[in-house]
Amino acid sequence: MLRLRILLLAVTVMCVTELASQAQGTTSVHKFTDLDFGAGNTEGTLVVSLNIDKGLGQKRKIIIGFGGRFNAYLGKNQYFVTAPAKLTSGSTGPGVIFKENIEANMDTFLVKSAQLNSLNLFLTLGYNLSERLMVRFNIDLIGFSFGKSVTGNYINGTQGKMEGASPTSFNLLLISDNDRGSLNSQFFARYLLSEKWGIKGGIQFLFSEYTTDTEVQQFPEPNDRFRNKSLLFSAGVSFKL
Amino acid sequence: MAYGCNNEEMNTPTAPVDDTFEPAQATLLSTGVMMGNAHTVSGTATAYDNGGSKTIVLDPFSTQNGPDLKVYLSTDPNATDYINLGPLKSTMGKQSYPVAGMPDLTAYRFVLIWCEQFSVLFGKAELQ
Repeated sequence: MLRLRILLLAVTVMCVTELASQAQGTTSVHKFTDLDFGAGNTEGTLVVSLNIDKGLGQKRKIIIGFGGRFNAYLGKNQYFVTAPAKLTSGSTGPGVIFKENIEANMDTFLVKSAQLNSLNLFLTLGYNLSERLMVRFNIDLIGFSFGKSVTGNYINGTQGKMEGASPTSFNLLLISDNDRGSLNSQFFARYLLSEKWGIKGGIQFLFSEYTTDTEVQQFPEPNDRFRNKSLLFSAGVSFKL
Repeated sequence: MAYGCNNEEMNTPTAPVDDTFEPAQATLLSTGVMMGNAHTVSGTATAYDNGGSKTIVLDPFSTQNGPDLKVYLSTDPNATDYINLGPLKSTMGKQSYPVAGMPDLTAYRFVLIWCEQFSVLFGKAELQ
């Protein structure tokens, strides 16, 4: 709820400032199309996004924005673990972000070849260090996922079985393990080489999630959602529209 | 993305082992010949009832090395439903693995040498 309130506040601020700047005839909206590659240990991403940034303040250095993003994730031999906050943290309130995982509740779903795609709306916060150099943080808010079904190894202590799974279809940012589905966030710097073209570098933090065909985890309560968290180095190019 | 079942970082110990399990004091339930599956594995897997608990014994036994090798007792060679008996103790020598619970060995009739991290079957024996 806290993040949803922040989102509503951000959208409100954008609307108000946009109307104010239009009234003054000084709009400061910039649009970028970005292509990014993320790389980690035996995993990677391809990300295509449309970014709409709005400068705030007199110098337009503070940025708030939004956009749409396509994330394609590919991973080899990836461990997905129990996802719901109720199991990982024992509660679903805002405090889950500060809670340690309850190891006894954490089961594993090992996928030999994971491939998930997501299409999400995201929120951006940023700062323009100069005309050419800018830093941004963005985070996916809501969207949907798709991809091929897989068979993975469900591992629960000494017991195990092979189980089918598909990408969790609905994505929603809440708080920490309360999140659902596949959501990406990026922190990066963008440098404009010319009026139109720029380069990017930074990190991605990606949640990917599968839903198993059955509630394969039974203890402490039935569960079919398993999540992988990936920290990836990211690089890409930007084109200013 | 260059990791695979030939990754040497997590390989199984190679020093020969010789567990103290004594077959003469147990009841033989079933046995099968180990066969490799795209990897070299050989030997014999035998299930014993040892005073009410079940034990799988690999003797003789030898396998090509690999990372994260586990011993599974499974319903089929694909590990569709299995009991993990633990990490493979060594690539060579007599080794015993207690079986948790009381599974039906007519259902869990395959002993698998399974590379867990990379989901690769190294070898199997069908207990008969």
